[in-house]
Amino acid sequence: MKTNKDIQSTIDKTLQAFDTIETVEVSPFFKDKVMQRLFLEKEEPETVRFWFAPKMQLATLICVLILNSLVLAKLQKTDYKEDVSQFAESFELSTDNDTSTLSFP
Amino acid sequence: MKEDDFIESLRKGTNKAYSQLLDEYQQKVFSTCISFIPNKEDAEDIAQEVFVEVYNSIHTFKGNSKLSTWIYRITTNKCLEFIRKRNTKKRFAFLQSIMGTEIPLDKTGYFTEMNHPGIILENKEKSETLFYAINQLPEAQKIVFTLHKVNGKSYQEISEIIKKSVSSVESLMFRAKKNLQKLLENYYKNNR
Repeated sequence: MKTNKDIQSTIDKTLQAFDTIETVEVSPFFKDKVMQRLFLEKEEPETVRFWFAPKMQLATLICVLILNSLVLAKLQKTDYKEDVSQFAESFELSTDNDTSTLSFP
Repeated sequence: MKEDDFIESLRKGTNKAYSQLLDEYQQKVFSTCISFIPNKEDAEDIAQEVFVEVYNSIHTFKGNSKLSTWIYRITTNKCLEFIRKRNTKKRFAFLQSIMGTEIPLDKTGYFTEMNHPGIILENKEKSETLFYAINQLPEAQKIVFTLHKVNGKSYQEISEIIKKSVSSVESLMFRAKKNLQKLLENYYKNNR
C-alpha cells in the first residue's frame, strides 16, 4: 500500500514527465500536402468555370428558350390538313385526282 | 524580406509566399498541435487546417500583433476546437461521472488515442496520466500549462497569444499546477 509520501513522489515524477519529451519532426510530405490543398484543389473548379461560367450558363439557357419558343410558334402556324395532303400527294395516296387505268362509263 | 512585405505577398496568395511560410512555420505549428493533441496523425491534420485558415483569413489580419503570434492563436483555437468536438463525442464519460464515479480523472473519456513519438518509453505511462489530467483543467489553464510546459513557450509569448498580461499568465499557471496536483492525488489514491 502506498503512503502519502509515495503518492507525492509519484505525482512529482508525473509532473516532470514532460521535461524529457523529445521534439517530433513533422512528416516530410507535410509541406507538399498543404501546398496541394491550398493551390491545386482551388485551381480545379476554376478550369471548370472557365468554359462554363455562370455567364455562359445563362446565355445557353436563353438560347435554348428562344429556340424552343421559335419552334413552338412555327408548329402552331403550320396547318395540319395541309401537311397531311402534301404527304399523301407525295406518296400517291391521295383520292382527289384518281388516276386509275380502269375507267367506268 | 520585411514582415509587412511578406504579409502583403501572403495576401496576394502567391505560391512562393506560402512555400516560404510553410518552410518557416510547419514545424512550429505542428509542435504546438502535438502538445495539445498527443497523436501524430491528428496533430498533422490540425496543422494543415491552420495553414488553410491562414490562407483564407490573411486579409483579416490587421497587423496588431506579430504574424507568428497570430498563427499561434489560430493554432491554439483549432486545437481547442478539436478537443471540444472530440470530448462531446465521448459523452459516456460524462454520464459515468454523474452516475457517481469517484475518480475524477477518467482515462476512458479521453478524447484521443495517445500516439506521441517524442515520449520515451519509461515515461509513457506517466505522460499519458498527465495528458488526461490536463484535459480535465479549465480551458484557460489548459492553454497556459500546455504552451509553457509541453510546448516550451515563455510567459511573454503566451501572454501575447492569449491577449492577457504576464501576471495573469503566471496566475493561471499557478492554478493549473495546483489543480493538477489535486487531480493526480485523487487518481493515485484511487489506483493504489
